[in-house]
Amino acid sequence: MYDAKLDFLRELGNIGTGHATTALSQMLQGKLFQLVVPDARMLPFEEAADFIGGLEQVVAGIFVAVSGDVSGHMAFILPIDSAMTLVRLLTSGQNEELDEMALSALQEMGNIMITSYLNALASMTDMVFAPSVPGIAIDMAGAVWQSVLAGAQAADEVTIIRTDFYADGSAIEGHIIFLPDEEDFVKIARVMGLEDM
Amino acid sequence: MPKKVLITDDTAFMRMTLKNVIEKNGFEVVGEAGDGEEAIAKYKELQPDLVTMDITMPKMDGITAIKEIMKIDPNAKIVVCSAMGQKPMVIEALNAGAKDFLVKPFDAERVVEALRKAAP
Amino acid sequence: MEELFVNMGQIRSLKSTGVLTTVGLGSCVGVTLYDSVAKVGVMGHIFLPTSRGSNGSTITSPGKYADTGIPALIEQAVKLGAQKRRLVAKIAGGANLFPNLNLNSVSIGEQNIAAVIKNLSNHNIPIVGKDVAGNHGRKMRFFVETGRVCVTAIGKEPIEI
Repeated sequence: MYDAKLDFLRELGNIGTGHATTALSQMLQGKLFQLVVPDARMLPFEEAADFIGGLEQVVAGIFVAVSGDVSGHMAFILPIDSAMTLVRLLTSGQNEELDEMALSALQEMGNIMITSYLNALASMTDMVFAPSVPGIAIDMAGAVWQSVLAGAQAADEVTIIRTDFYADGSAIEGHIIFLPDEEDFVKIARVMGLEDM
Repeated sequence: MPKKVLITDDTAFMRMTLKNVIEKNGFEVVGEAGDGEEAIAKYKELQPDLVTMDITMPKMDGITAIKEIMKIDPNAKIVVCSAMGQKPMVIEALNAGAKDFLVKPFDAERVVEALRKAAP
Repeated sequence: MEELFVNMGQIRSLKSTGVLTTVGLGSCVGVTLYDSVAKVGVMGHIFLPTSRGSNGSTITSPGKYADTGIPALIEQAVKLGAQKRRLVAKIAGGANLFPNLNLNSVSIGEQNIAAVIKNLSNHNIPIVGKDVAGNHGRKMRFFVETGRVCVTAIGKEPIEI
């Protein structure tokens, strides 16, 4: 049963991230992105902290609360170098540094990707996954990830679906993370015809 | 006379992007709003020919803003530009009176085409 | 010199020498207790203000919450030879990295700071150094030989509290 649940979560991650990177690709004149097979886990709190790795690395993190038929939280985290590359591409080289417009571009890009991910899940399940206005932080990965977990109130066991993606020859990589609330995950599974999850 | 457009989006980057596209194609951007409340206030003040409207915004969301603007002016021409593309929201926006619904990311031609169609 | 890392919800201690380090203080509050005579130092990384409403996981990780964490920190210090009446505290963290999100009316960071201060006060432990709140993440390093605590953040000068 456990494996079936994780497989299902991975599939959700795959579909969601597929749409998110397609959206990103469209924003970047068709640049191609590869997805790494999603990692889905149900982790005890003590292990969740290490999940993101590279705790002192500087990252850009875009964070969103999800409500509607399904609730939970989503985060899009990318190393600062990837973030700067994206900003340059999105603004056609106009922005070389992380000023207000650059942060706005990053926030919007994160928003579009996260919403595309949720749109895909919504379309698949016929349920509503509505994102909140996003928040953005540029900080150490550990602090960003910890704030995401606190925002998601993940104090005991946390369900994490993480998909990594990268673009060949362009040093853009990132993680898209979905933290569904437990009860709602069961709802999704049932809608998909998967009982006993 | 170029048609006057009010742009509504909570991100400065998207407002800038839309403004560039819209102005390059023969329209005049007469104002920008960062949330639904501001959109209503600016609509009353500027009386634009067209409005682009985001959905997910702080203070007041786009669908509520559409409803309020349609109350003020039943002939308002509002085109939604949002990342949110889920069926219930699209239907709600169109029922509230939006003329078209574009899901981000969209390309320039699509936006221009939608604006021209809404206010020929 | 030995360096021990303290993760979210963990409590670790050293005597005489070494460094206790915690990275990733966003809304979390890092708490150090020090007995300068016995040279005993403990560090905790508090995640939430209270254990009320949790389902029993406090038994395994009392360090997760301010109300169970402070007593657990004191207990660890005493076990290593500290005297409670000599303990002093330093705290760092409790920031709000996503201020425009308004997930709670009072941010978790603010709640954590208040809970830590209150619980330390309940045990009569004075706070002799602090760097809290704001919108940035922090790293905290505690040198047990001297009791010095260094707080660093991206784009800011390191400070000693």
